[in-house]
Parts: sequence; C-alpha cells; structure tokens
Amino acid sequence: MKLISRFILVYLVVTMIVLGIAGVISYFIIMDELNNELKWRFMGRIERVTYLLEKGKDFNSRRVHGRDDNLIVKKLSFPVEPSVEVKDTMVWHERLQRMEPNLKVTAYRSVNDTTYYISTYGALIESEDITEAVVQILLWIMGMMVIGAVGVGFIVSGRLFKPFRQTLTKIQNFKLRDKKPITAEKTNIREFDDLNRFVEGMTRKIIADYKNLKEFAENASHELQTPLAIAHGKLELLTETNLTPEQYRYVEATLRTIRKLSRLSESLALLTKIENHEFTDSADVNITELIKDSIRSFSELIKLNGLDVSIDLSEDVIVRMHPVLADFMWTNLFQNAIKHNIDNGSINIVLSPSSLRISNTGKPLTIQTESLFERFKKADQNSDSIGLGLSIIKHISDQNGFHTTYCYEDNWHSLEVRFLNSQSNGESRS
Amino acid sequence: MKLLVVEDNNDLLQNILTYLEREGYICEYARDYDEAFNKIMSFTYDIVLIDIMIPGGSGLQVLRKLKSVDSKTGTIIISAKNALDDKVEGLELGADDYLTKPFQLPELHARIKAVNRRKHYGGNEIVQINEIEINTKTMEVKVRDTLLDLTPKEYDLLVYFSSNKNHVLSKQTIAEHLWGDYVDHLKNLDFVYQHIKNLRRKLEKAGAKNYIESVYGIGYKFRVR
Repeated sequence: MKLISRFILVYLVVTMIVLGIAGVISYFIIMDELNNELKWRFMGRIERVTYLLEKGKDFNSRRVHGRDDNLIVKKLSFPVEPSVEVKDTMVWHERLQRMEPNLKVTAYRSVNDTTYYISTYGALIESEDITEAVVQILLWIMGMMVIGAVGVGFIVSGRLFKPFRQTLTKIQNFKLRDKKPITAEKTNIREFDDLNRFVEGMTRKIIADYKNLKEFAENASHELQTPLAIAHGKLELLTETNLTPEQYRYVEATLRTIRKLSRLSESLALLTKIENHEFTDSADVNITELIKDSIRSFSELIKLNGLDVSIDLSEDVIVRMHPVLADFMWTNLFQNAIKHNIDNGSINIVLSPSSLRISNTGKPLTIQTESLFERFKKADQNSDSIGLGLSIIKHISDQNGFHTTYCYEDNWHSLEVRFLNSQSNGESRS
Repeated sequence: MKLLVVEDNNDLLQNILTYLEREGYICEYARDYDEAFNKIMSFTYDIVLIDIMIPGGSGLQVLRKLKSVDSKTGTIIISAKNALDDKVEGLELGADDYLTKPFQLPELHARIKAVNRRKHYGGNEIVQINEIEINTKTMEVKVRDTLLDLTPKEYDLLVYFSSNKNHVLSKQTIAEHLWGDYVDHLKNLDFVYQHIKNLRRKLEKAGAKNYIESVYGIGYKFRVR
C-alpha cells in the first residue's frame, strides 16, 4: 500500500469517528435548542390561557382542537401552589404510527381562587427529522472531506513526494559496476534532503569499498602466487638432496598442498572477477566446437579413468557470451563429470540449441542439493577438489542469464544449463 | 648455455639459479627493469626468463626491447597472473613460451631446453644420450639406428627425462608434465607407471641400457653416467 493511500485511509477513519461523535453532539444540541424554544412558546401559551381564564373564558375542561391542540385545561377542586413543570413525554403519533418524544409543560395557576391545571405538549420537529438532517449534513461534510483528502493526496504524492520518488528511482537504477555514486537533486524539504545526502554518502562509500575489495581480491591472488612458487621451488630443491622415501613422501604431500593452494587462489580470483562483472565483452561462441575440442583433449584422461562418454550434439550451437567464460564453464562441467564419477562409469552429453545437459554416473550426494552451488560445498570433504567449480559455473550462467539446474536420479547426476539468451533461440523466435 | 633471469623476488631467483646452475648453465640475473634493460643491451643470451611484474617497468617492456635488438634470443615469460591477456600479449610480442607461477623447476628446465632447441637448432637438434638418439624435429627416437615405435606420450616422457637427467622425478611431477592440470582429477597415478614400463620395455628391446631407475616410494630417475 502506498504511503499516501495509508495516510488518506487513516485520515478518513479518524474523520469518520470524529464526525460520528459530532453527529451525536449536534443532535442533542439541536434537540435542546428546539426544546428550549418550544418551552418558551408553551409558557407563552399557558400565560395566554391564564389570561383568558382571568377574563372569564371557560375552557370547560375540553380539549381545544385545531391550531391550539394538545392543550388541557382542568379545574381542580383543591388548591395547588402555582408552579410550572417541564418534562419529556412520549406521545402517540398518529401519522407515524408510533410513540414520539414530545415536550410537555404543565402549570398550576390560581385564577379567582380556583386552581387550574394547564398542560400543553408537542414537538416542533420529529426526532427522526433531526437525525435525518444531521446525518445528511455529516454525509455532505464527509463527501467533501474525501474529495479534499484524495485531492491533497494527489498533490502530495505528485509534487511533495517528487524528490523522494526521484531518489528512489536512482537507488533502483544504481549499479555497482558503473562506479557512479548517486547524486540527488537539491530539495527544500529537510527530511528528503537528509535522505539524499545519506544515500549519496552511502553509495560513495559502497563504491569505494567495492573498489578496495576488488583490488584486494585481484592482488591477493597475484601476491600469493609468488610465495607459493618460492615454497614450491625450495621443496623441489629439497627433493634433489638425499631424502629417505619417508621424507620424500612428506615433501611430495607438501608440494601437492601448495599446488592446491595456488589453484584455490586462482579460482577465487576468477570468481571475484566474474562477480565484479569483468567479463562483459561477449562474442559468438560455438559451443559445439568447444565441446568437441575439449573431448579430444580430455580423451586420454577419459580413457585413464575408464569412462564411457556418449555425446549427442546439435551442429553449430552458437551462444553469445565471453569466450573465456564459455571455456571455463564447459571445462568445469566436464571436469566435474569426470571427477565425481565412479570406476568404469559413464558420461552423457546432450547439446541442443537451447540447452546443454551433462550427466554422469556417481554416488548419491551427501549434501543438500540447494547448497551444491555454494562455495566450498563438497560432497566429499576429504577430496582434493577445492569446491569452487560449481560455484563458478553458477556465477557464469547467472551473469549470462542462463538457468542452471541439478538433479539426481537412478545414480545419475545431471546438470543442465539453459541458454536463455542464446542466438539460436533468438533466431527460432524471430 | 647462457641465461638471464629477470625476477625481482630473491627467493624465487635463488630457486631458479640453484636448479639451473646445477644443470651447468651460466646464469645471470636482473632484479629490476633498468638492470634487465642494461644487460640485454650489453650482452647476448641464449635464453631470457622474464617475470612480468618487476620494479621499474613491465617484463613485457623488457621483452619488446629484447625483440627489437635481438630476435635470436629465446624468451620465456613467467607470470603470477593467470590473466590470459598477459599470455596472449607475451606470445604476440614473440615470447617463445609462457609459464605461470608456481611452476615446477624440472618443468621450467624442460621448457628452456625446448625453447633452446627451437631457437638455436631450428628445432632440428638431435639429442644424444649415449646410444639413444632423439630427433626433436621428426620426433623420432633411435637406438643404434633402430627406430623405436613410441606413442606421443612415451616420446614426451623420454624428452622430459633427457632434459632432467639424474634428477629424481616424482610420479606427480611426471604426471603433471604429461597431462597438465588434468592430473588433479585422477584418482591414482598408476598410469604413469604403465607409460614408464612401456617406454623402458621399448628401449631395452631396441638394445638400450636400462636408464630409467625406480626410486622406491618416490618416483623415477633417468640415470646417465
């Protein structure tokens, strides 16, 4: 719900409650005023009746009809102190066929030593009419308020919130790799101005941090390689001395670890580069040729691992992406299929113009499928692999708008990459 | 053979120098751009190893200068950067080979030998180890005029052994030379033994002595006295 709608809604709810209370109060005030007026009028009538009685007019205890109806004059046989009494009463209303609240004024008057009971009652306006009028007035006010509130809402959201919406749009369009901090326009509303300054400062900081991090990740990889090369070389020189087989084994293991470290830092650097969108130049990559070439160069390795590879490739599948990334992605996919295979296992490669599916036989996963693409998630924690391969694949496909899925069925692991932006797709659509 | 090693890291330099001097190379070194520039301008070398990241300039600049004055010198670029751009640029500028850190010293040595053969013997060098004759151009191996029928991998293995005579080479090192990084994906390295067994059998069948010694628990040594 938009802020302004919420604002108007709250405003209207409050208005409604206030108007409801105001209605009740209005009703009673109007009623009171009317009754007051009526009371004076009745008093006047009683005075007139008294005057007439003094003049000797005989009301004969009869009801007077016509304009002066609802008047009762009774001669009492006992003296009562002259007094006036005003009270509410319910009277049967002929036309409405129900009891109506009326005002009744009763007076005792002594005229020529005779006490008279004079009573008159009536209503200026029926209570229902008052309610009706009050409700009508309130509805008018309400209607105008709704129109006013919505109108104000439009003005506020259109004009007043303009700087806010502009800033919001800029934040939405903010891209880290453009390395341009957000510059918001000046506004004379302090809260928005504070927000703009804050957003500007924050994006500047984000960009600076991002740059630092990027440089660090790239430098770290480079700086790590030299010490690793030194350690590697020293150990190699050590193997030239007279080592016992046991000592040699330790040295070999250390050499292996150093090589693993080196690969790890290389892969991390690559991952960082992909994340930093450094591979944005794309070219048409012939995936079919890429796979054919790579299978040729892997052929001995496949044979050594005793694997059976069956391929079903569509001719000349062209995908638009960075050639280096295409190479990394395929190599990682294929190496994964080799590495996580079983003895005398199989690999199945199916390439269609819209997708690439590589399946391999293997043991079931010991980790959650969802975490498979996360960094350093390995099915076998003791394995020599560094656990970044699938993460790299995922990043490459995400960046190119591909969709990567994994499934395991009947001892077959399958990874499928759908080329959503592939050219062959585009051609078939057009 | 005279070598120039352009490398700013002292430890790494010592590793390279120790290994290569033991092989009988005359090695000089330069630790920064100016030193390297002066040396390539003043002397001639058979092979120059160039690290890309050096103080005072880029190794690629050294390479460019070297190529402008002397195209006969073999050049090998060493880089910690795995960046393909550097590799491509280095090779475009005329570098003969490219190695990324960390590299194996026997591998470096094998590359130096290969570059040397290409540059100075037109790839036509005959490597002679006693009765074994390796023609690096035709990739033929003869033992006293008997032509051996070797697979490409066996040939590669023999050349690698010949470049690193009398060094103990571990199974891992050999596997990495022959199959590169793919070795990481192999469950065991027994196939190295298979290749060595075949090579040894073929050499002996042709009448060569058994030069390939097994070093128990370590690897192999091509022993030539």
